[in-house]
Amino acid sequence: MANPLFSDREVSFQLYEVHGAGDLCQLPAFADHGRETFDLFLASARKIARDVLFPAYRPMDAEPPRLEGGRVRVHPAMKEIWPRLVELGMTNATRPSEVGGQELPVLVAMFAGGYLSAANGAATAYAGLTAGAAHLVEAFGSEEVRRTFHEPMISGRWSGTMALTEPHAGSSLADVRTTATPMPAGPGRYLLRGNKVFISGGDQDFTENIVHLALGRIEGAPAGIKGISLFAVPRLRPEDGRLVDNDCSSAGVFHKMGWRGIPSIALNFGERGDCVGWVVGTPHQGLGHMFQMMNEARLMVGMNGVATASAAYHESLEYARTRPQGRPLAARDPRTPQIPIVEHADVRRMLLKQKAIVEGGLSLLAECARLADLVRHGPEEDRERRRMLLDLLTPVGKSFPAEAGFVSNSLAVQIHGGYGYTAEYLPEAWLRDQKLNSIHEGTTGIQSLDLLGRKVVAGGGDALRALAAEFAAVEATNEERAGLRAALEKIAATTMELAQRGLAGDRDGMLAHSVDYLDAFSVLVISWQWAKMAAAARRGLERDRASADFYRGKIAAARWFFANELPRVSTLCDICLTDASFVEARPEWF
Amino acid sequence: MKILTTVKRVEDYESKIKVRPDQTWIVTEGVNYRANPFDEIAVEEALRLRDANMPSEVVVVSVGPAAAATEIRSGLAMGADRGILVKHDAFVDSDGVARLLQKVIEQEKPDLVLMGKQAVDVDDNVAGQLVAEYLGWGQATFASKKESLESPEEKAKKPGLKLSADKKSVQAAREVDGGLEVLEVQLPAIVTVDLRLNVPRYASLPNIMKAKKKPIQELTPQGLSVDVTPKVKVLKVEPPPARTAGIKVPDVATLVQKLHAEAKVI
Repeated sequence: MANPLFSDREVSFQLYEVHGAGDLCQLPAFADHGRETFDLFLASARKIARDVLFPAYRPMDAEPPRLEGGRVRVHPAMKEIWPRLVELGMTNATRPSEVGGQELPVLVAMFAGGYLSAANGAATAYAGLTAGAAHLVEAFGSEEVRRTFHEPMISGRWSGTMALTEPHAGSSLADVRTTATPMPAGPGRYLLRGNKVFISGGDQDFTENIVHLALGRIEGAPAGIKGISLFAVPRLRPEDGRLVDNDCSSAGVFHKMGWRGIPSIALNFGERGDCVGWVVGTPHQGLGHMFQMMNEARLMVGMNGVATASAAYHESLEYARTRPQGRPLAARDPRTPQIPIVEHADVRRMLLKQKAIVEGGLSLLAECARLADLVRHGPEEDRERRRMLLDLLTPVGKSFPAEAGFVSNSLAVQIHGGYGYTAEYLPEAWLRDQKLNSIHEGTTGIQSLDLLGRKVVAGGGDALRALAAEFAAVEATNEERAGLRAALEKIAATTMELAQRGLAGDRDGMLAHSVDYLDAFSVLVISWQWAKMAAAARRGLERDRASADFYRGKIAAARWFFANELPRVSTLCDICLTDASFVEARPEWF
Repeated sequence: MKILTTVKRVEDYESKIKVRPDQTWIVTEGVNYRANPFDEIAVEEALRLRDANMPSEVVVVSVGPAAAATEIRSGLAMGADRGILVKHDAFVDSDGVARLLQKVIEQEKPDLVLMGKQAVDVDDNVAGQLVAEYLGWGQATFASKKESLESPEEKAKKPGLKLSADKKSVQAAREVDGGLEVLEVQLPAIVTVDLRLNVPRYASLPNIMKAKKKPIQELTPQGLSVDVTPKVKVLKVEPPPARTAGIKVPDVATLVQKLHAEAKVI
């Protein structure tokens, strides 16, 4: 059977039985939508994913982009794929109709993006980056900037990128050095000079033009993050109705271990002193503007993590069902036929763990997407609380799929045995792809500092209290409820103690174990999602006997997560408070 | 010109199909449905002909339960202009469908009717031919593209059916043993389409939203005065025989001998 990338039954379960996609249509903003439009859109997305994107995945991985004569040539399949993604609506589906969008709930767009990412993450990323860049221009650009850049990007004639990283400034964006000199020609235009690295989609040959949303510093700006501005820097600039070279040159293509369908470029702005950038939004507040795109991008990365793990999970599931090897532990008679490996308990352990990670992660992203919809369009009085929850969950939504997804992708290789280690089979490619997700859009370390140093302590613990209220609303079993309550109390107590260390000036004591804290917090949050899904599955079992196997699988995966993962919370919390081994270790001890 | 196309709601071939224990039909609970893929090709062809011959209209018709409106809507989301659902919950055989379509076509008076050559659920391949017979119209079946599906013509979304300059006839190429046969039929006519006529488009989000506002008219067999009591009786439904285990032969000579004596293929 062909790899479905995501199970359609799973998608409909999460959308309609767990996350209430239907209810969203009662909000005035989504009144034009209904289950029918959602299902037609998802049907188109999954068809394009399965028929167009997935067949191109292997060829694009095998033939990465090349730099030829100063320009990057990407795989020719992108010329076929790009118009399909644009037509489908992936550059602006969730935007309002005034700006050419269709006001599709983020929740539904997220699942459509999931199919596409699972089929071919690199190809999908071009559309995601363009959508993000267009959204930035729409939200913060002056009339001139919007007129110049918005329509060409959402119509797919031009693509967009985010150009943040510099050779010496990756996680540390405060150190960005690209300079911007005001031009006498017109307000809002600057001459840019600087070097950017790791710019995904920073050059390609399937659109007429490329717009880099770049961070830089206006001459005389204050040092640090408060002096960073955002610019739209096109590869070709419009001038008297023509497009002329804008002095953005591709200095090199990085050879990457994964995501090989989209180039990662080193870009030089203004080598000849002729690179014009249009300031987007308020000068010196560029990083704040960029964070809008980064928060969306973080959830997109999370979805890619889930999708990459999902494709591999389904590949290994099919393999386990069809690959005969060995005999039952209790019946080793060599004259009996071999059994499919799915009959071995250890293989089912690996499958159930993948299922728990993939579907748990998917559910968390659905939760975040629904919150994003409600923050924008839900009842006024709940918006602040939901904004706080979304902020709290975003670092988990970005990092859990990346970290646990890597474990899941590794299990898919494991199930394929010796074959899994060869390039004849796909799981090794997805394992390589997955690794990037714990690095780009803020590493796991950065996400953990964001969670512990900022989100969880915001408002004196209001966010954590809002989360506790969400837990209480789940129709969990007594056992699940007790497990969730104990883990939440442990995390709340640990947070309190760590916060006090911070207040007392001991930043290391508070934050050194932030990644372990993020791990514990992620397990708690995913357990909550599994409790929600198990409750929906119990309701489903009552109603729909034809789907009994599906619902039993859900309940089994929830049991696995509660039995195998939730107990780790307590240990991790203790480690956060007691272990100082690496804090005290000196560099010269290694 | 006015083009009428048909879309049948069929079981999704990616669903696991099981036969009911009493062998009267398949188990329908938990099965996903979709538009018959041959019919999607018919809709695509209709849209291309429409766009090349404006002003024109494309009407999508289905016979089936209320849920079949979903498949009409998917045709509207591809770009068709309006829909007609002949609503009937029970099984309708191909003859019943043809007689219903005859009535709808007499009401609508299209210049051209495009249908999938068959539906992938029961693979009867008779409805199109019957409709032509009942209307007394010409028919061209199994229309294909002369050019390949990788050709520049297909990439440019050119219709595979060639409408004459006076719009009074249409040429259709059909695959036959050893090549292509080209037929010309006077309009109005029935053309049934094969898999290699075109690659159907995907419904885009803007078109899905537009489709929501397009009308779907509901008719009934009673209203059309058609008796749809099945003339075809389903006696028994069986799954295909399970694949039996293969055997290993010691050498090529034994293989050849077995292919000759047992499998009788050489």
